Amino acid sequence: MVQKDFELTGKAALVLGGATSLGRALAVALAEAGADVAVTSCSQDEQEEAAVNATVDEVRAIGRRGFAAAIDVTDASQVDAVVQRAVDELGGLHILVNNPDLPFAKPLPEVSDEEWQRVLAANLTAVFLASRAAARVMLRQGKGKVINISSLLGERGVINSAAYCAAKAGVINMTRALALEWAREGINVNCIGVGFLDDVPGIGEDEALKVSLEHYLPMRRLAHSQEMAGLAVYLASDASDFITGQTIFIEGGALSHV
Amino acid sequence: MGANKARQGSHQGVCHMATILDKLRLDGKVAIVTGAGRGLGRAMSIALAEAGADIVAAARTEGQLEQTAQQVRATGRRCLVAPTDVTDSARVNAMVERAIAEFGRVDILVNNAGGVTTGYGKVLPDITDEEWRVGIDTNLTSAFYCTRAVIPHMLRRGGGKIVNISSGLGLRGGANNYMYPSAKAGLINFTRSLALTYARDNIQTNCIAPGVFPVTEQMVRFWRGGKYIPMGRLGRAEELGPALVFLCSELSDHMTGETLVMDGGGMAGGQAPTGLAPRIPL
Repeated sequence: MVQKDFELTGKAALVLGGATSLGRALAVALAEAGADVAVTSCSQDEQEEAAVNATVDEVRAIGRRGFAAAIDVTDASQVDAVVQRAVDELGGLHILVNNPDLPFAKPLPEVSDEEWQRVLAANLTAVFLASRAAARVMLRQGKGKVINISSLLGERGVINSAAYCAAKAGVINMTRALALEWAREGINVNCIGVGFLDDVPGIGEDEALKVSLEHYLPMRRLAHSQEMAGLAVYLASDASDFITGQTIFIEGGALSHV
Repeated sequence: MGANKARQGSHQGVCHMATILDKLRLDGKVAIVTGAGRGLGRAMSIALAEAGADIVAAARTEGQLEQTAQQVRATGRRCLVAPTDVTDSARVNAMVERAIAEFGRVDILVNNAGGVTTGYGKVLPDITDEEWRVGIDTNLTSAFYCTRAVIPHMLRRGGGKIVNISSGLGLRGGANNYMYPSAKAGLINFTRSLALTYARDNIQTNCIAPGVFPVTEQMVRFWRGGKYIPMGRLGRAEELGPALVFLCSELSDHMTGETLVMDGGGMAGGQAPTGLAPRIPL
């Protein structure tokens, strides 16, 4: 039965950046498909910590194991530690979802060196750190799925977002390079290009922005985080074993535009 | 590698709860699959049937369709055998009418018919008008005919899913290979135009671009068993099933105009018949 191919029973997943509605949707979907799921939040943010704790509660309510960890995803030792903890507590690491996200918009001349570094670190370096840490485990297993979360802005530019766009494009091409590097090691590296979501703080609360984005999208509606979840489950499962190095967009048709 | 065969039955603790996996079900839906008589088309028909869809199997050769139908029916679904030359628009229209008459609806169209036609391997000056026309008709015009025939029905019903099967050769060229890559690239952009046009009519159009999925021993030999594909192996027909089911399910409702490339890493770094993508020396 084709549905069985999507099941993740017996697999352990780590979702980096689990505090957003997207992180939560991905974590819960992986759990529904049968995986045990660890999620991380930003170490300096109590609201985020509460959000990932709620996500882990949901994972457990589904009947899966899980834990929440507040870490700085740009700090190698903390990333290494959370990967080790996943291995220890969940019995391995088969699925890594790299969903760190630091939205940032500012005209380029006003962007400070420090801001540039911070945006690149949070959106790109974090993906490198987590992939490196997870690869040590996955290479040993001879099997693994890395799912990077990039954005429509990794493929299309927008005004006042050079740093963010560069970082997100970096994730897309890192996806290709790592896919090749591990193509014969049983590790698939793919990427989900997320469109505009209606349930993230920036867009969800700004009615004017929301309306302008709706007009930009062929479907005339923004996506819900849950609409990314099916693809994540597919890419995490054995059903996608021959797909690697790909970025698949769910963006309401925006990339088909003239 | 391979599936984890240890898992059996449904996952504990969640078997009575509706989960995301249930949203892959296509129960009550009707899917037209062209080129369903063999190879990838047959595998995809079976996958859709396993997910719950009834199948309209269209292709030229009735004998082959009967074999597909047998396997579809073995899953408990219905299968209409519809021998059709998809390069003939009158026959395509008749096939779609018959499908609607038989099953009352069409929810899914899989434009899979196609293949390398006469003229492949010739240098350009030697290709005849007829060879060009047949190559484009088989691989691109057929999708236009089928889509044109189902769109009014899907609009009346309030939505649908169209999946075009392109190829890795829709994204790259091939020496002395003109019709197939041109048509398959056309299919990718045909997908985008359909996606834009019907974005607000709840018709999602997407595309799958399979890399090397040989269906004959000769093709396996030609591709050296996948030696030059980054993953080191060839695609397997049954691997397309889950991708197709996902694209036909409600889980992909916000996805349209996309091309899902399943090629063992080929497009990630450039696969060439002479070897792997270059390796930077350590």
